[in-house]
Amino acid sequence: MADVRKASTVWKITIWSVIAATIVWCIFPFYWMLSTSVKTDLGVYRIPPELWPTEFTLANFEKLFAYNSMIPRFFWNSLATAIGTVLVTVVLASFAGYALSRLRFRFRYNILIAILVTQMFPMVVLLIPLYILYAKVELLNTWTGLILAYTSFALPFGVWMIKGFIDSVPLEIEEAAMMDGCGRVGAMFRVVLPLATPGIVATGIFAFLDAWNNLLFPLTLVTEIEMKTLPPGMILYFTGQLRTDWGGMMATSFLTTLPIVLIFALVQRYLVAGLTSGAVKG
Amino acid sequence: MNRRSTVSRPLVALPGGLRVPLHAMLITPALLVLAGVILYPIVSSAVLSFFNYDLTSPQSHGFIGTKNFTTLAADANFWLALKNTLVFTFGSVAASLLLGLAVAFAIDQVSDRYSWLRGVVLLPWIIPAVVVGYLFLFIFDVDVGLANFILKKLGVIEQNQPWLMRANLAMFACIVANIWNQTPFYILMFAAGLKTIPQDVKEATLEMGASRWQEFWYVTLPSLRGIMVITSLLMVIRNFNNFPIIYTMTGGGPAYDTTTFVVYIFRLAFENFQLGYAAAVGFIWCIVLTILAAFYVKALSKDF
Repeated sequence: MADVRKASTVWKITIWSVIAATIVWCIFPFYWMLSTSVKTDLGVYRIPPELWPTEFTLANFEKLFAYNSMIPRFFWNSLATAIGTVLVTVVLASFAGYALSRLRFRFRYNILIAILVTQMFPMVVLLIPLYILYAKVELLNTWTGLILAYTSFALPFGVWMIKGFIDSVPLEIEEAAMMDGCGRVGAMFRVVLPLATPGIVATGIFAFLDAWNNLLFPLTLVTEIEMKTLPPGMILYFTGQLRTDWGGMMATSFLTTLPIVLIFALVQRYLVAGLTSGAVKG
Repeated sequence: MNRRSTVSRPLVALPGGLRVPLHAMLITPALLVLAGVILYPIVSSAVLSFFNYDLTSPQSHGFIGTKNFTTLAADANFWLALKNTLVFTFGSVAASLLLGLAVAFAIDQVSDRYSWLRGVVLLPWIIPAVVVGYLFLFIFDVDVGLANFILKKLGVIEQNQPWLMRANLAMFACIVANIWNQTPFYILMFAAGLKTIPQDVKEATLEMGASRWQEFWYVTLPSLRGIMVITSLLMVIRNFNNFPIIYTMTGGGPAYDTTTFVVYIFRLAFENFQLGYAAAVGFIWCIVLTILAAFYVKALSKDF
């Protein structure tokens, strides 16, 4: 729209100061994490705080990867369970999303709402019975156990998201494929699901974030330290006198954040499109 | 009604000559996972709340009726947890809502060349909550924290404050960390909402000679009402269940002063090992959440 009103100076200044403040507010804590992670112990305690360290060091990162450090092990557990969660969630959510979008059956609407409602229950309430259940079926301290638990929290969002995308795929395309001899299941795999790719990618990303960030499940359903993921691992690691090992803590934080930021940079547009398409009725 | 389906209930032939409806095959795996990890524990937790299941005194286990609930009514920490949950949640939601609105509106006003701003703004949202906790633990540290340094420079405080060791200050610090973490979500939702305001409405406003402030108050804000309601409800529910930020920053302390419901349940179960009592607190909590969830579902199905 060509806005004929001339923006007043006050208006412009207000808008741009809000934006400038936002940028600083969003980025500075990140920057502070990074700059602290390359400071020496002495540098961290210097007053006034140094914006960028006068003595640059990678010692904090070397410590993380030292032979006796558990951090690489935590990292590996996080990565494996997060990738497992993405795979399981994407497959289950695509199937369920397709059925709920395209097929008509009894309780369809009730199932949709029930799936949404499961999201509201606090994880912490589930933990006690889940711990007892996992102990019985020997899922404590396993990747499988964590993947199943994470999946249950990523699924509701994924099912709704993928269902929404499939809803917008025209029925005629599917019918044409079936006419060409694809069969219903063939049409689903070759035509419908590929067209719902943005929704599937967004689901995968959310599943990854959910799993990677989850603290409660690995804090309680994993009791052996070698099987912990990064979030509970950090809490175990940075207690006692290490609670003020700021350099090490920020280096670990950086390592924990890095994969997320990389993935996010790669697929940002899918994420934003997927999120808002479901939320806003156009 | 839209035609969405060609055959309503196609059957699939399995190797054993069995014919199973396709929809059942497709949704059963997802429902099984949800039933095992969410439904079963919820039911089982509700049952547990009527039992004494204190791991420190195994000889006294057994059904005790509603005793857990009467204990709970007289438990000062329970009411403190309720207060903390409300302060934490509504403090975070109100502040994030206002900030989110202001930023989304500012971003909407500048030209599309600055679309990278959206990426920058989302950054705090994608960081793992534990990292957010540690980052702000550091920023609010009594000796080396930036918060003390900056506030002292500005003359707001004279001496270093032990932020995380004083009840009100600790809660404030947790809320600040939480706002930092979640405001991007509001910005994203509001920015999307601003895009849906129809062009002709904007043009009509323009023709009527409305100023920018008038447009904001009388056109923009009212059309965002639906999104504001849905986003806030969703975030109230999310914040009611927020665990990692508080647990990382204060562990619920000092004493129980930043212990919200979820932290309280966790501490009861995994620090005091009072499983039955923890389940009872969880039961009450689930009822509150179910009521809220009902509002949420209603708001979602309503056309704003």
